[in-house]
Amino acid sequence: MTRIEAIIQPSRFEAVKDALHEIGVEGMTISEVRGHGRQKGHTETYRGREYEVDLLPKIKIDMVLPYNLVDGAVQTILRTARTGKIGDGKIFLTTVEQAIRIRDEERGEAAL
Amino acid sequence: MSLTPTGNALRDSYAAESAKIETEFAATSNGRKAIEDRAAAVDRLIIDLCRESLAADPNKLERFCLVALGGYGRRALFPFSDIDLMFLAEDQDAESRYRDATRTISRTLWDLHLRVSPTNRLLAECDRFHRHNAEFNISLLDRRYLAGDAELFSRLNRGALPQMIARERPALLRDISELTRQRHEKEGDTIFHLEPNLKNSPGGLRDYHVACWVALISGNHPAEESNQPERFWSAEVTGEMHKAFDFLAAARCFLHYRQGRDDNGLSYELQAEAAARGIGGGRMQAIEPADWMREYFRHARVIYDLCTQSLDEALPQPSSLRGRLDGWVSRRTPSDFIEVGGRVRMRHPEDLRDPARLMGLFDFIARNGVKLSREAEDQIHKVLPALEALAGTAGTGSGAPAAAVASMFPNLWAGFQQILVAPHAADALRAMHSSGLLVCLFPEFAAIDSLVIRDFYHHYTVDAHSFRAIEHIHGLRHATSAWERPFAEMLIELEQPELLFLSLLFHDVGKGMPCEDHIVGSLQAVEMAFSRLGLKPADAETVRFLIRDHLAMSANLLRRDIFDTETIRAFAENVGTPERLKLLSLFTFADIRAVNPEALTPWKAESLWQLYVSTANFMGRSLDEQRIHAQTDDLRFVEQVMPFVAQALFSDGAIREELSGFLEGLPRRYALAHSPEEVAIHFQMARNLAEDSVELRLEKRDAMYVLTLLATDRPMLFAGITGTLASWGMNIWKAEAFANAAGVVVDSFRFTDPHNTLELNPSETLRLEKNIVDVLSGSITLDMLMRGRANPDSARPPKVTVATEIHFDDSSSSHSTLMEIITQDRPGLLYRLSSTLARTGCNIEVALIDTEGERALDAFYLRVDGAKLTLARQQELRDALLSEL
Repeated sequence: MTRIEAIIQPSRFEAVKDALHEIGVEGMTISEVRGHGRQKGHTETYRGREYEVDLLPKIKIDMVLPYNLVDGAVQTILRTARTGKIGDGKIFLTTVEQAIRIRDEERGEAAL
Repeated sequence: MSLTPTGNALRDSYAAESAKIETEFAATSNGRKAIEDRAAAVDRLIIDLCRESLAADPNKLERFCLVALGGYGRRALFPFSDIDLMFLAEDQDAESRYRDATRTISRTLWDLHLRVSPTNRLLAECDRFHRHNAEFNISLLDRRYLAGDAELFSRLNRGALPQMIARERPALLRDISELTRQRHEKEGDTIFHLEPNLKNSPGGLRDYHVACWVALISGNHPAEESNQPERFWSAEVTGEMHKAFDFLAAARCFLHYRQGRDDNGLSYELQAEAAARGIGGGRMQAIEPADWMREYFRHARVIYDLCTQSLDEALPQPSSLRGRLDGWVSRRTPSDFIEVGGRVRMRHPEDLRDPARLMGLFDFIARNGVKLSREAEDQIHKVLPALEALAGTAGTGSGAPAAAVASMFPNLWAGFQQILVAPHAADALRAMHSSGLLVCLFPEFAAIDSLVIRDFYHHYTVDAHSFRAIEHIHGLRHATSAWERPFAEMLIELEQPELLFLSLLFHDVGKGMPCEDHIVGSLQAVEMAFSRLGLKPADAETVRFLIRDHLAMSANLLRRDIFDTETIRAFAENVGTPERLKLLSLFTFADIRAVNPEALTPWKAESLWQLYVSTANFMGRSLDEQRIHAQTDDLRFVEQVMPFVAQALFSDGAIREELSGFLEGLPRRYALAHSPEEVAIHFQMARNLAEDSVELRLEKRDAMYVLTLLATDRPMLFAGITGTLASWGMNIWKAEAFANAAGVVVDSFRFTDPHNTLELNPSETLRLEKNIVDVLSGSITLDMLMRGRANPDSARPPKVTVATEIHFDDSSSSHSTLMEIITQDRPGLLYRLSSTLARTGCNIEVALIDTEGERALDAFYLRVDGAKLTLARQQELRDALLSEL
């Protein structure tokens, strides 16, 4: 099992979610996050007051998938989250040792 | 433990009775009968047990009896509810004598899987008020004789308890109130819960009983009447409460049977099942889950209103300082109203027949945050049919038609907007809704009465969501978190907040109408409201815009890159003006927040603010670039204005061409910020312009004067007007200066008259106008006017000090330099700025003047000799302005 953590532009979230559902990804956890990579931020002035827009809004998608779905999910995210501009986000993959469903204590891929 | 042969027989008999009750409920969905039958079945069971364990004839027992308490005492025993049973002994001796037998009875009941809660008490204990056992005191209110010494029960029922209640009435009421408050708080303090608890949620069965207890205690009614509330409620209230109880009782029986335990949570899935079986209401026909929940909410509202009203009215007034202050407040109320314990009623109920006074009652609620008393609500219920009869709609259920409403409430919009902008508007609207007045005025609102949206995001019914949205906007006045504050400032800046509130009230009405897109329905509904309210066309257009585009900002946040210039440009173009942008931003803020308590996260609020700032900046900085090309791209502006242009003497083609010429080159902002009627007036003024002449129009709008001036462009034009206004002591809050391609300037100023010169001396208006014309024509100089005026710098010291900031921007316009200046607002400021600009050779292409508290926020698009300002010129101008300020 692999954990996929994708940080994407909020404007691409709906498209990414729909595309993941289409390839059979059923569960995901979504967080509203802020941050920046190399794109950094910028300063906005409004009515004479300066606002630091250094941490930009992003959506973080967390999923744990069986190995056979991982490549498809990554390709789907890459295809649907990309706008070509700086700030499109990142995908992180990590190996997951175990998964346990709390309700019935089922373990392994069956618990996903 | 195994049962005795008698126990086995009792178990079989009770099981057979229970099965029969369940079967009958499944066939009829009559919850009231099911709970009464179960109470009777348990009665028989307990009496049989008494016969076995206590005496062959239990009624011959001496100094000992069995008493049913709580729900069992009320003969309202739900399928899996606890059985509260009291073994009452006259003294210790009697208690000891029957102790073993009572244990046997309790144990047998447990062995029969009945959840019995037994309690052993002496009569003397029931005479006392148990300060730390409020639940026991309250359970005694629903006492019922079961078996044993009837005379002993009579001494409890007719002597000890009524005396205790009479003695401890205030404490009992306070305990009930406190327990109710805690329970409501735990259940989210709203009846409109997504998955309510039928027993404990506000408007649930517990509230029904609270209303009964309060009436019992307040009126010192005998206990037997707790099951007959019609004895202490009016016939109308009894009818409504009866229906509500029947519905909830049926629903709770359904839940118990379905879950096989005392589980009162009405989950999504169970709502769908109950609706499919047509539970409650006695019809047994499948209906849509949303409609079934709508019925639930209507009943819950009836119970909740009576419960809270009864408590507020019955609670003793505190004797503390707060109590004395409350009394003082009630004496302060206007003579039409009496306010006691946070509830208001009319001093003379017959006054409610006067529509103005009726609206005045809700205006009082909106200003003071009080609630309607039960008495006042009853009075309104009685008055509404008379009003509808007056309007010729009695019994139609369709509310009053527009013309009838207009005749009954001649200044409806004036009164209604006062309610909308008052701090407790949401409370007033809820009271108008529950009393039926809101639907009488706006029958379209009935479409969303208690309407449920079945998704996992909406926690409230559609009507409750709309009231909450309005409440959230008013709540911004007490904003504490960093992410709320920018929106709170935005609210203060709104010119017409009433339009925001009216839009919020109607924005989701379409959800209850038979149309695919709820926005279409909401727009139809609000058109009907316009016909009753008599809104000005421009104001109605703003409300239409807000309802039509109320999802636009959310859509941009979710589906567009809000840091992309093209997204911002398209959005800004759609919105049009900064005022509309503020309205829409606040609308979106409130609309999201009113979906559920967690819907508006700081993340979303900050993103919304980011979209607002980017769009506002784009609007300000693109002003000079975004010009009207009336003969090519922007024909729509011409078409919008044409119907308002007087064409008597000219052919359509000629006037159209002339109008196009007037609009050509004006900033788009001009056409978006002014209604077509206003543009037509300006056009007429432009047509009247002779060379070097000036066309003026001065009118009063609410607390502000609006001066519109058209003239051919000339040096010192802006400075001449601002100087004249300053010499008259006028305080300019907002101003715009635009010019078309032909060099005709359209300037407008909004100013206040702090000394009321114009109001107190109407003839001075003409003199002010003449002064402006004379200054612009050079007949008199500003120095002459300024002579004798107080030095502006000698005015009162500012409350907040604002440092002067000057920014130049050469990138926003292709042919002008944008100068933004933020400085301390002060009398004559705009004159000092504009005369400095004129003195340094700067021509104002566009000006936008705004004031935010003590801060003046002015933007000028400038040119010198037809070109942008060089860096040297910018520095020179900065120095001159800093020196002047």
